[in-house]
Amino acid sequence: MPGKPAKKQKRQQFKKDVEGEEADGRLPQKKFYRQRAHANPFSDHSLEYPRSPSGMDWASHYPAYAVKSNEGEGRDESRGEGETAKPRSTSKQVEIADIGCGFGGLLFALAPKFPSTLIIGMEIRTSVTEYVQEKVRALRVQHREDGGYQNAACLRANTMKFLPNFFEKGQLGKIFLCFPDPHFKQRKHKARIVSYTLNSEYAYVLRPGGVVYTITDVEDLHNWMVEHFEKHPSFERVSKDEQEKDDCVEIMRNETEEGKKVTRNNGIKYVALFRRIEDPPWP
Amino acid sequence: MQYPYQCIESCNRSATEDSRWILFGGRGSKLVAQSSTGVASVWPPEDEDLAVSMSGWHEDEPTEPPGKKIKLSHSNDQISTFSSLTLSHDGQHLIAVTSEDKSIRVFQIDSDCNLRQLSQRCMARRPCAISLTEDDSTIFCADKFGDVYALPLIQPSEDEQNGTPADEPSEQDTPKHYVPAASVLTVHSGRNRKVLEEQMKQASKGQKKSKEQLKFKHELLLGHVSMLTDILHATVEGRSYIITSDRDEHIRISRGLPQAHIIEGFCFGHEEFISRLCLTTSGLLVSGGGDPYLCVWAWLDGRLLEKVFIRDAVLAFLKNHPNLASSLPENDDSFRIAVCGIWSVPRRKKEQDEILVACEGIPAVFSVRLDGTTTIDAVPLIGNALDVAFVYASEDSCTTVVSVDNIHKPGSTTEIREDEGTSRLQYFAHLDGRWEDDTKFEDKLEWFSRQAPNDARNAHGDEKAVRDTLYIVENLRKRPGAEDQD
Ligand SMILES: C[S@@+](CC[C@H](N)C(=O)[O-])C[C@H]1O[C@@H](n2cnc3c(N)ncnc32)[C@H](O)[C@@H]1O
Repeated sequence: MPGKPAKKQKRQQFKKDVEGEEADGRLPQKKFYRQRAHANPFSDHSLEYPRSPSGMDWASHYPAYAVKSNEGEGRDESRGEGETAKPRSTSKQVEIADIGCGFGGLLFALAPKFPSTLIIGMEIRTSVTEYVQEKVRALRVQHREDGGYQNAACLRANTMKFLPNFFEKGQLGKIFLCFPDPHFKQRKHKARIVSYTLNSEYAYVLRPGGVVYTITDVEDLHNWMVEHFEKHPSFERVSKDEQEKDDCVEIMRNETEEGKKVTRNNGIKYVALFRRIEDPPWP
Repeated sequence: MQYPYQCIESCNRSATEDSRWILFGGRGSKLVAQSSTGVASVWPPEDEDLAVSMSGWHEDEPTEPPGKKIKLSHSNDQISTFSSLTLSHDGQHLIAVTSEDKSIRVFQIDSDCNLRQLSQRCMARRPCAISLTEDDSTIFCADKFGDVYALPLIQPSEDEQNGTPADEPSEQDTPKHYVPAASVLTVHSGRNRKVLEEQMKQASKGQKKSKEQLKFKHELLLGHVSMLTDILHATVEGRSYIITSDRDEHIRISRGLPQAHIIEGFCFGHEEFISRLCLTTSGLLVSGGGDPYLCVWAWLDGRLLEKVFIRDAVLAFLKNHPNLASSLPENDDSFRIAVCGIWSVPRRKKEQDEILVACEGIPAVFSVRLDGTTTIDAVPLIGNALDVAFVYASEDSCTTVVSVDNIHKPGSTTEIREDEGTSRLQYFAHLDGRWEDDTKFEDKLEWFSRQAPNDARNAHGDEKAVRDTLYIVENLRKRPGAEDQD
C-alpha cells in the first residue's frame, strides 16, 4: 500500500532537508513513516537482497567499520552510499540481528549497550525501514564526538525467505524476535516468524551458544514459540534464572515500541530465550 | 486430440527376469506401460478385457495392434493428471504424483507389467517433487508451500485400520479446545482485532474442522518459505543429505534422516528461480531454471565450479533452424529460457560426466559434457522435449527415450500442429560421442508411442488444460511488483 501522498511528500522533504546540510542531526518523525501493519511474507516483494552473504555490502551500512579493500585503488571514502559496485566489507561481522525491528526501539537501546558489536535491524516494511535508517543517520550526526551508533543499522528484508542470504553459518550471537505479528488465523500459521522449519534457519545463522530472544503479549503465540523451539533439537530453553540475569531481557521488555505499548495498557509480557546447542555428530 | 506423455520413466530389470525393461508414461490421467516382451497395460483399466487383449500381443505379430481393441466407452471419474513418475531403486514400485488431487500414489509393478495401486495419499499441499531414500523405505515429498515430508513407501497397515491421524506435526494442529489466540488486552492493529472478534464468534459456534489433518503417517522434515521445485537424496561417504531447491534461488543442503533439521549449507549463484536439480555420475550437482546458465556445484561445500551458458546453445540451435528462428525476439538479450529437465546420462566411466538438458518449448535436448571442456551439442527433435528416460536393450546398450510434444508446433507452447500422427517418442543411441537415431525401438514401442488409448477427457480437446499440464516452469518466474505493497 503506498503511503498517503502527503506522508510521502513529508518524508521526501525531510530527506532533502537533512541531505542539504551535512551536519543535520534532526530526528525523523514517526508519523510520516507509518504503514499498514502487515506485509505478506510469501509474496514477491521487489526486495533487494545479496545473492549470498559474501555479496553483501556491509560497509555502506557501517561506514565507520569499512575496510579499505586496496590502498592503491583510491576509492572514494566520503559518505556517498551505494556508489560502488563491488561489495565492501567491514572490519567486524554483524553479530546481533533484531528481526522485524519495527521502528527500532530495541536497536537504539542495544547499540550503546554493545558499543563494539555490529547490530542490524531487519524490517520488511519499506517506510518503517526508512524511518529507522534516518534515525540512525541523525543519531550518528548527534554523536559525532563519541562515535555512538556507528554500530547500528537497519535494512529492508523479508527474513523469512532470505535470512541465509545475509549471514554465514554460525555468524550471529543473538537474534531478537520481539512482539512478532501473531497471525491469529489458523491457515496463516506458516506466516509466523517462528515455526519448526524456520527454526532450522535460525539455528543455521546462530553459532553454538548463541541465543534467540522472544517476547510477546499474546499468550498463545508465546506458547507456540516455546513449543516449536523446544521441539527443535538444535535449541534448548534458557532457564528463568539465567534469563532474568540477562540484561537484554530488561531492554527487550522496556525499550521496544510494542513493549512500551503493552506497559501503558497494563498487559502481560511473555519472555522466552532459547540457546543454540552444538550439532550432534553424524549418525 | 492426441495427447503426449508429460512424464516417462523406465524400469530396467536384469536379464534373468522375464521382462528386461518396462517403459511407463503419464498421459493426462492415464498411466501407460509397455515392456520389452510386448506386454502392455493402461491404468486405470478402461475395460475388463483390456488386460486379456494386451497380454496376448507380442512384438512379432504387430499386424493386429491391440489399440484397436480398446474401447473408450465409459467415462472415468479419475481425472487427476500425472505430473511425475519415479521408480524405486529395486524396480518393484512406481511412485506417481497426480496434481489436481495432490496425491502420491504407490504402484506395485507386477511381473506381467500390470500396475496395482497400493496406496493413494492425498497431501495437504500439492507435491512439486519427490525423492526416495536409497533403501526405498521412505518417500520425501517437497510441496508447493515449501515443506518436505517423509512418508513410508509402504503404508503401514494401522494407517487404514483406525484412520486416526498419526503423529501430526503441530504446524497443522488445531487446538483441541478452542482458545482465542489473543486476549482482549492484546494491543495490536485493527485488523488483528477483527480477526480476534471473528475467532471469538467461531469459538462460540464450535470448532471448525481442520481440512489439513492427514490420516496417514507423515513427518515434517524441513521447510523453505518459498515454493519448492525439486528434491534429491544423496549419500556421500556414508552420510546422507537432502538437497532442496526453491523458487527464490535457493539450493539448501540438509542432513538426511534422522537429522534433517540441520542445515549444512547453501549453494548460492542463481539469480532466477531454480526448477531442476541433477546429480551427475561423479557426484557433482547441476542446477537450472530461469537463468541463462546452469550451475555446476561441488555442493558439499557450496562451491560453484562453473556456469554453463545453456541459453546461448539454445539460441544458436534456434537460429540454425530457419523454421524455428521466427519465434525469436529481435534482441538476443531478451531471449529467455526455462530449464524443465536435467538428466544424468548413465556412463560406465565416472570421469565422463554427461547430462541432457531440456528447456520448455524447445524441440531439442542439449547434451552437455562436463569433462573439463564443457561441450554442448544440440540433439534436434520432432517436437518440444518433455521428458527423458534411459532404457537398456541389453546390458551394455542404453537407449535414450525422449517424450516429445506431438500436439504443439515445435518451438511453440501455444500453437497447435496441423500434422497428425507424430510419434510421441524418439529414441537415441550414443555412438562415439554422437547422438544417433536408434531405430530398433520404433517397432518395439509402436503401440506405446502411437496407439495407446487417449485420455477420454482430452477427446474434447481442452487445449488450455493440456498446455497447463505440459508447460509450467516458465510460470515460476517472478513478476516483481505484481503483489507488492508500497
Ligand atoms: C508488531 S511489530 C514489532 C516491532 C518491534 N520488534 C517492537 O517490538 O516494537 C512486528 C514487525 O515485524 C515486521 N515483519 C513481519 N514479517 C517480517 C519478515 N518476514 N521480515 C522482516 N520483518 C517482518 C513487521 O513489518 C513489523 O514491523
